[in-house]
Amino acid sequence: MNRLDPRRDLAVRFAFMLLVYAAFALKLPAYYSVAGIASLLDGAFLTGIIALGVGLTMIAGEMDLSVGSMAALAGIVSIKLAAIGIIPAICLTALLAALVGALQGWCIAWLRINSLIFTVGTLIAFRGLALLLSGEQTANIPLDELESIDFLDVHWGFLSPLSLTLFAVALLLGLLATTTIWCREIFAIGGGRAEARAAGVPTRRPIVLAFALSGGLAGLAGAFLSLEAGSATPLGYEAVLLDAVTACLIGGVALQGGRGSVLGILVGLFTLRFLVSGIASLGAPFWAQSLASGALLITLILAEGGYSAWARRRAFSRRLSVDGSRT
Amino acid sequence: MAPTSASAAGRRPFGRGTWRFAGLSVAAASLLLMAVAGLSTPSFLTVGNGLVIVRAASMTGIVAVAMSFVTLSGNLFALSASALGAFLAVVFALVTAAAGLGAGLGAVLVVAVAAGALQGVAVNLTGNPIIATLAFGAVFRGLASVLSGNGVLRINDAAATWIGTARPLGIPTQSWAFVILAALAWLTVRKTSLGRRILLSGANREAAVASGLRVAAVTGTALAILSVGAAIVAVFTVCQFSEARANLFNGYDFDYIAAVLVGGIALRGGQGSPLQAALGAVLIALLENLMLLNGFSAGLRMTIVGAVVVGATSAFHLLQDKT
Repeated sequence: MNRLDPRRDLAVRFAFMLLVYAAFALKLPAYYSVAGIASLLDGAFLTGIIALGVGLTMIAGEMDLSVGSMAALAGIVSIKLAAIGIIPAICLTALLAALVGALQGWCIAWLRINSLIFTVGTLIAFRGLALLLSGEQTANIPLDELESIDFLDVHWGFLSPLSLTLFAVALLLGLLATTTIWCREIFAIGGGRAEARAAGVPTRRPIVLAFALSGGLAGLAGAFLSLEAGSATPLGYEAVLLDAVTACLIGGVALQGGRGSVLGILVGLFTLRFLVSGIASLGAPFWAQSLASGALLITLILAEGGYSAWARRRAFSRRLSVDGSRT
Repeated sequence: MAPTSASAAGRRPFGRGTWRFAGLSVAAASLLLMAVAGLSTPSFLTVGNGLVIVRAASMTGIVAVAMSFVTLSGNLFALSASALGAFLAVVFALVTAAAGLGAGLGAVLVVAVAAGALQGVAVNLTGNPIIATLAFGAVFRGLASVLSGNGVLRINDAAATWIGTARPLGIPTQSWAFVILAALAWLTVRKTSLGRRILLSGANREAAVASGLRVAAVTGTALAILSVGAAIVAVFTVCQFSEARANLFNGYDFDYIAAVLVGGIALRGGQGSPLQAALGAVLIALLENLMLLNGFSAGLRMTIVGAVVVGATSAFHLLQDKT
């Protein structure tokens, strides 16, 4: 579709992000204070971690709709596991979530079912499990353990455990995605499933890997945030899918699969973050946030869809005129 | 959407028999469930409880039947139906309070068709109905909050109260509407040119385009039908409680989708009937009611419904593969 050089494409998106930042920084002093930047970075954690996972499944030409429920389920599980220590609880929960995600990916690949349909079912089931495990109540960690989570709240300048984890995960995923063959397979099957298979790329492994990563990252985000807050609600994280997909699309992940990058997703994430927090800080009510991300997403998909339709039509008419001059 | 594994596999076409079988298996599952329920839970087979089930199935069922047009036309689902319902409920309450019931009904219908057509444009441009309608859902929910000022809107209208609470021949109006609409939907799909166009667009998009069908218009029409379904439920709900709020129907999208999935309509489109979605809604209402009577917690109920959806979807999918 979009035949722009990927580097130039990313540069354009990066410039757009800076533009959004500058537009709000003019009005909001919080956008260039250390505390303000720290809160922008922390606020990007949830959407960012989940967008990286969902982005991978989108690049594979599939989509994991169950991430919000998975994060809620992981939050409840991590609170239950808090007794074994905070860091081990986060790691174990993320690992469990990755296993469930891998199982989900395996089912999708084995059944050759449309992942949108399968994950709608698991979206309901995971949410139910979260309600079941929590007894439909907010799960809290015991009061005497509250100091044990204080270390998650410290800030070093504008960095915090939240933002450091986000950057570490992004760096790791970026390295994996560009250097390992398993991750390259994800790109290959997203670009053209039949062509990839004909070229000898296994189709099952990359799907399992993409869904394991999206499940695991959703689990990590849910566990980390729940333990940081000391409590988890089984009904949380419902709106995160919308934001994650929006971030991916702003960052240049193609809805059709095959195209996208970790760096792009980060750029998309912060573009969205700057915009949404900016609108919130300017005094818009809470529901304006979802209105803004929804409107942004509609604009994006219409622009992308419109552009590719226009490009198709232009290529077609050019071919017609070439044919016409020949005869 | 991407070249999903399904299309890449180059599946063989399958006959109408499979879908008759799918419909029959859902009906059989409902009967089996009723038999088990009747034997194990004495309060299940009472007239009062029957009406409760029918009413519960009706509200989900009306939207599910309307949603089946979207699925049949090859566009999977819309994730915006619940938010659109809330938006339309707010519109209905506002206009009814200001200008009377007739104006309210007219306004809802116009806004619903416009919203459906608008979503149709987005779905056609992106080729991904899930994402397009997810975005529209957020906007509809936001608009509902804006219009209602995030408060409760009340209406006071005798005719509206009748629509919401009357029971002609002992059966709630909602259930009459459900049965009539399901029959109308079935007639539309089976007997009208629109129905044939929807089925052909879903069964084979390339063939539909090649035979001069305007697939984009068909998609838009299907989404407009879904919007009208959401509008009907919105009107019934506002009339029943004489009020509208922006957070109405929150989270109901998955009930609608679950009904379509459990009904076993071919998810790539083109095969199946709105009656299957109606049956799916009844089956889920039966299941929910049975679990409720046995004191299952909300979490357990949701887990079981989710598991049934995953199981039914996978089973129907395998069935398609093997025939």
